[in-house]
Amino acid sequence: MSTLDSTFAGEAETALAGSAPSARARRGRGWRSRGARPTSWTGWLFVLPALIMYLVFVIRPMIATIQYSFYDWNGITAATPVGLANYTRVLTDPLLLASVGHSFFLMIFYTILPVIGGLVVAALIQEIKMRGLGTVARTTLFIPQIIPGAAAAIAWVWMFSSNGAVNQLLSAVGLESLTRAWLGDFTWALPSVGVIGWWLGLGFCTILLMAGIGKIDVSIYEAARLDGAGFVRTFRSVTLPGLRQEVGVCVTVTMIAALASFDVVFMSTQGGPGTSTMVPGVLIYELGFTRSQVGLASALGVVLTALILAVILPIQRFFRED
Amino acid sequence: MSRPRTGAAGLGALAAFAVAALAACSAPGSSSGSASTAPSDVSTDLGTEPIELTLYDGAGLKNVDEALIAAFEAQYPNVTITGRYDPDDVQATNAPRVLASDDPPDIARINALADIVGNGQLTPLTPWSEAYGWDIPAGQLAMYTVDDDGVRGSGTQYTAASGFVLTGLYYDTDVAEQVGMTTPPTTLAELEAAFADAKDAGVVPLMVGNQTGGGTFPVQMELNNQLGAQAINDWVFDAPGATINTPEAEAGVQTVADWIAAGYTNDDANGTDATTALGRFTQGEALFYASGNWDATTLQEQMGGKVAFVLPPVGEPGGTPMAMSNPVSNFGIPAKSDEKDAAAAFLDFLLTPEARQVLVDNGFAPSGTGDAPSTEPGSLNESIQAAFADLVEADGQVQFVQDATSGINTVWNQQSQLLFDARVTPAEYLANIQAAYEEQLGR
Repeated sequence: MSTLDSTFAGEAETALAGSAPSARARRGRGWRSRGARPTSWTGWLFVLPALIMYLVFVIRPMIATIQYSFYDWNGITAATPVGLANYTRVLTDPLLLASVGHSFFLMIFYTILPVIGGLVVAALIQEIKMRGLGTVARTTLFIPQIIPGAAAAIAWVWMFSSNGAVNQLLSAVGLESLTRAWLGDFTWALPSVGVIGWWLGLGFCTILLMAGIGKIDVSIYEAARLDGAGFVRTFRSVTLPGLRQEVGVCVTVTMIAALASFDVVFMSTQGGPGTSTMVPGVLIYELGFTRSQVGLASALGVVLTALILAVILPIQRFFRED
Repeated sequence: MSRPRTGAAGLGALAAFAVAALAACSAPGSSSGSASTAPSDVSTDLGTEPIELTLYDGAGLKNVDEALIAAFEAQYPNVTITGRYDPDDVQATNAPRVLASDDPPDIARINALADIVGNGQLTPLTPWSEAYGWDIPAGQLAMYTVDDDGVRGSGTQYTAASGFVLTGLYYDTDVAEQVGMTTPPTTLAELEAAFADAKDAGVVPLMVGNQTGGGTFPVQMELNNQLGAQAINDWVFDAPGATINTPEAEAGVQTVADWIAAGYTNDDANGTDATTALGRFTQGEALFYASGNWDATTLQEQMGGKVAFVLPPVGEPGGTPMAMSNPVSNFGIPAKSDEKDAAAAFLDFLLTPEARQVLVDNGFAPSGTGDAPSTEPGSLNESIQAAFADLVEADGQVQFVQDATSGINTVWNQQSQLLFDARVTPAEYLANIQAAYEEQLGR
C-alpha cells in the first residue's frame, strides 16, 4: 500500500504547500494597506526548515538522477559520460518497453476497476448508512488500506498458490479445471498481480468517493427520492455528477500507483515467471542496486517520471474543467 | 486561481538552486578508484592492547558467525569483534556502499568479488598468507583470487571462506521404499530410473521451487556433468571467451527439458517458491528435493530419520562427482579498515580445527584441510560431511552459475521459468543466458 499512501500523502502535501503562500500573500497585502514595508523574507523564514528538507531530500536527488542518467556508473568508481546512450537503450530495449506495457495493463486493475467498484460501493454504502450498517461496510472495505502492500502481497501469494484459498474456492464450486498456480502462470500472473492491486485500491477509492458523497447536499437526494428516482437513477443524476473532482483524484492517484508499482510485484513475483510481470519500478531497482548500472536505472527513472506526467497532466486538466 | 507573486519568486529561487546544484555537480563517483596495494609491513602478533573489530555479514549467518567470534576471542582475549548483520540479500546489495563508507567494517562478506576488487575496496592478503603460511587446497583458493584483468580463479588472494555450502539431492527414505529405490542413485541412468518409478507410483519425482529460481539447480547439475568443473568455473569466474552456449551444454539442458516434459517435476514449479517446495518435500509429496546443506537442520528437525542426502549423480559410471559448493561467507578485509593485522588473524583462525568444528556444528562444511570434524553418528549432517569430504577429494567443487555476474541470477531465473513452461528450447535458453552474460560483462 505504500505506493498509494505515499502518493496520497504527496497530494496532501501539494495541497498544503499551495495554501501557504496565498495566506502569506494576503497578510502581506494587509501590511501594505497599513503602510508598512513589505518584508517578504519573514515568510520565507517560516518556510525555510521545510524548504531545506525539500531541497535536500526531493529536489537534489531528482537533479542527481537526471545527471546520473547521462553516465555509465556503477555507483562507486569514477563515472564515464555516455551522452544519450542510456536513453537510447531505454527507448529501444524490448524488455524495458514491455515493462512499461505491463504497467499500462495493470491500470485496468489499479485504476479502472477500483474507481468503478468504488463508485458502486460508495453509492451502496450511502444507501446502507440509512439502515445503520455503513460503519461495518466502511471498516471492512478500508482494512486493505491499512495493510502495507508488501504484507498484502505475501498474503496473496499464499492465496494464489496451488493449494491456496483461490483454488480451494474454485474447487468448492466445481471449477476444478480452472485451478492453477496463478502467479507462476505466464498468462495469468499479470492479471493476478492486478487483482492484488485492485484489492488494495478499492478501499482507497471507496473512502474518497464516500467523502465526496458526504459533501453532496442531502436535500438533492431527498428531492430525487420524492421525484421517485430509484438507486440507479439517483446514482447517475446526483451522485456521479457531484463526484467529478473526487473521481479525478482517484484516477490520478491510482494511475500513478499502477505506473510506479513496485512493492506488490516485487514481493509477489519479482517480475516472473520469465519477465511476464516485470514493471519499470522493479527493473529500476534491479538495474540500480543488483546490477550496479546506476546510469541506466536513472534514465529509466527519468523516462518513467516523464511518462507519468504525460499521462497524468491531461487527466488532471480533464477533471478540473467545469 | 491567480498565483501570488511570491509563488513565482519561490519557483524562481527553486530554479536558481537547481541550476546552481547542477553546475556544482562534477561527474559522480570517486576518481581515486586505483587498485589498493598490499601493505608491506604486516604482523601476526596482535600484542596485548585492546583491539576492536567489526564484522559485516548476512543475518542468516549470524549464528555461525557469533560462534566463530566467540571461539576467536577466546584465543585472542584483547580482541573484541562486533557483528553487524543485514538481511542476506540486503547485505549482498549494500556491501559495495558499506565498504565505501567512512567507517567500514574490518571483516566483510564479499559476494561480487571481482567488482569489489575492481573498485579498489579490498586488501590483498598475500603478505598474511606468507606470514601465516596458509596451505589452502587449489580448488578453494580459486574462489578467493582475482587477477589483474578482473578474472577470478587465479591471481591475488583477497578473501577466505568461513566454510562451505554443499549442494546435492535430499531424498525421502519412506517414499524411496514405497517406489522401490533401495540405494541412492549415483549415475544419471539410476536417477532417471528412480524418477520413472516415482512417477509410476504417483509421487512427484523431483520437487522444484522455480518461482525463486530453483529450476536452475537441476539444469546446472547436468551442465556440470556435460562440461566439467573447470569449464563451469571458468564461466563463473568470467574467464575470457568462456561460454556455455555449446552442443554439450545443450544436451545437458535437454536432459532437464525431457524431465519436465515427462512430468518428473511438480507441474506448478513456476508458482512454487523455495520455502513452499521444501515444506511440500517434508510432507512426503516428493521423492527428491535438490538443495544445499543450509536446509539440513530444518529437514532433520521436520523429517527426523526419514531424510538422506546424496551428491548429484554423475553423468557416466565412474565419472567425477561434482556439486555446487562455494563459501558460506567469503570474508575479505576492506581497503579502508584500520585493523588489518587483527582482521587477518581472524581469517587465519578460520583454518584452525576449532573454527572447522564450529562450521560443522552449524551444518556447514569446513574451510581448509585437516581431520574431519566430529558429527553425531547416523545424523543427516554426518552423511553431508562425508559427501563433502568425497567432493573435495575429487576436486569437484563447482561454483554456482548464478554468481557469474551480479545481474545474471535474474536472467537464470527468468530463463528457467521459460524452460519449465517449454517456452524456450534448450538452445534458446543457453543462447539467451550467454548473450546476457556477455552484455553484462561488456563483451
